[in-house]
Amino acid sequence: MSEEAIIVDRGYRPYEGARGTLRSSMWAIVKDGYRRALGLRRRAWSKVMPWGLIALMLMITFVVIAVAWFAGDLIPDLPSYAEYFDLTSQLGLLFVALTGPLLLVPDRVNGVLAVYMSRPLRMVDYLLAKTAALVSLMLTFYLVPQAILHLGLAGLSDDGFFTYLGENLDVLWKVPVVALAYIATHGSIAFAVSAFLGKSGLASGLYLGFVIITNNVAGLIVGSANFIGAKYAALFAIEQHPRYVRDWVFDSNAGFLIMEDAGFDAWVSAVCILFVVAGSALIVWRQYRKLP
Amino acid sequence: MTLFSVDNLTHNYGEIQALTDVTLAVPDGAIGLVGANGAGKSTLIKILLGLLTPTSGEVEVLGENVRTHVREARARVGYMPEGDCLPVDQSASDFVAYAAELAGVPAKAARRRASESLALVGLGEERFRYLKDFSTGMFQRVKLAQAIVHDPRVVFLDEPTAGLDPEGREQMLELVNRLSDYNISVIFSTHILSDIERTCDWVVLLDNGRVKRNSPLDRLGSHGVVQLELIDDPQSTAEILRSRGLTVTVNGFRMSIPSADGVTTMIRDAFAETGTGIRSMTETQVTLEEAFFAVGPDFPPPVPT
Repeated sequence: MSEEAIIVDRGYRPYEGARGTLRSSMWAIVKDGYRRALGLRRRAWSKVMPWGLIALMLMITFVVIAVAWFAGDLIPDLPSYAEYFDLTSQLGLLFVALTGPLLLVPDRVNGVLAVYMSRPLRMVDYLLAKTAALVSLMLTFYLVPQAILHLGLAGLSDDGFFTYLGENLDVLWKVPVVALAYIATHGSIAFAVSAFLGKSGLASGLYLGFVIITNNVAGLIVGSANFIGAKYAALFAIEQHPRYVRDWVFDSNAGFLIMEDAGFDAWVSAVCILFVVAGSALIVWRQYRKLP
Repeated sequence: MTLFSVDNLTHNYGEIQALTDVTLAVPDGAIGLVGANGAGKSTLIKILLGLLTPTSGEVEVLGENVRTHVREARARVGYMPEGDCLPVDQSASDFVAYAAELAGVPAKAARRRASESLALVGLGEERFRYLKDFSTGMFQRVKLAQAIVHDPRVVFLDEPTAGLDPEGREQMLELVNRLSDYNISVIFSTHILSDIERTCDWVVLLDNGRVKRNSPLDRLGSHGVVQLELIDDPQSTAEILRSRGLTVTVNGFRMSIPSADGVTTMIRDAFAETGTGIRSMTETQVTLEEAFFAVGPDFPPPVPT
């Protein structure tokens, strides 16, 4: 070390730098949401679940591409973009069951809302930022594998890379729209459940239970009950609404759907999704408006 | 400069009236907010921060109307809540930097500010440890660090010494005292009177939702008695003062005389006549403890400022 080297301890000093606007405060919440949901800057075990699901999601994509590459001629009916949602939406459901509660519950349970609300933020700003974090995370979760799949299939196409992309331009809007339908349905219920519970794990479990039970009970009533109005039970098969919208958007029929069985059109599912979002937003707002 | 002012402030929790027609203005500096549990301290702080909307009345913090300009007001304040407010799965550095970003400090500067604030509270070495591993005393310090990381003009401290051992409490009070070096005003809410005496120069005493005192700590009021400590025998001076109509009580080399207009001049003249030496002459002041426990209209009012 140089003889002239000195240690300078600047210590605490008044801050005279730039200060951001509301948008920068909200962006800070969004970034914190990413870190929490993905377990970044946290202990190793926090990373296992989210990154495990991401790895699985990507694995499915690469398997489909690999099958198309090595055995495309032998298996002509590779999953379509719509069917691919069926393969991945269960993982999406698990991912939102994990991240939804993580975004809301710890802040409330740890009392951190008192700190947030002493900053130039209002509760509505906080909730909007949390929603933005969830939606952007989920969009990435759904769209990145779809984009890889799209580019992979384009690369393997006999017609050539750019010809394939040109012929499939419609997926550029269809896939995001369907992804948003899944995210809106799953995410809003996950937030509504999380607004009530004090443990993230419990909220995740209850959310999954709610989705599975409503689906099965609705299916059972529509399929076997013969009282007047039984078909309306299909409206409560919440998990199936985005699937019906997916079939509507892609003009496909990727499997049995309770809503279809009950004789409803796909637009009814789209309206149900809007109701679920509005209802969940109302529930969350009622819970949070008097906090901290 | 007025730190905060409230005008005819009333707040009800249903049937319970937490604050009743409170009107006060508090200057810059270290302000003690004292009162028993349920006196309305935390309610007042939450209203000042815009966390609660008052039932009626107007509130201004640093000249900003909290009802209409809550963001502007909050941009210049820091808050150390009484209860838990730290995410245990994060490191101290990450959380304090995040708290700075929430107040609008850019990310890079926020990390630097977090280091500086944690160093100030004595956690420079431990800043990368997870909060889960922190003791109560360290928790309180992190809470203080997040409250000052964005360099607020005023910081609200709600029971900052709660749960601390004597050494931790001592260090926390020292830290609070140091905040004035950085031009940060303090609003210190507590029911521990000695903490206020150690750190504040102004006190707001709340009782049952009403303001009992709002004055400088050294002017809480006078008992209306002049106390004299003498070097020589006081009897001759006492006789002169009695002959001029004053009530004089003598106890050894001490003398007490009820305060009144012109009494100090009469005392001076009497001592000049007798040549008796005086060690000290003071008017006895109301202590914070006396003011806190005082009841009834006869208790001395605060000295006008």
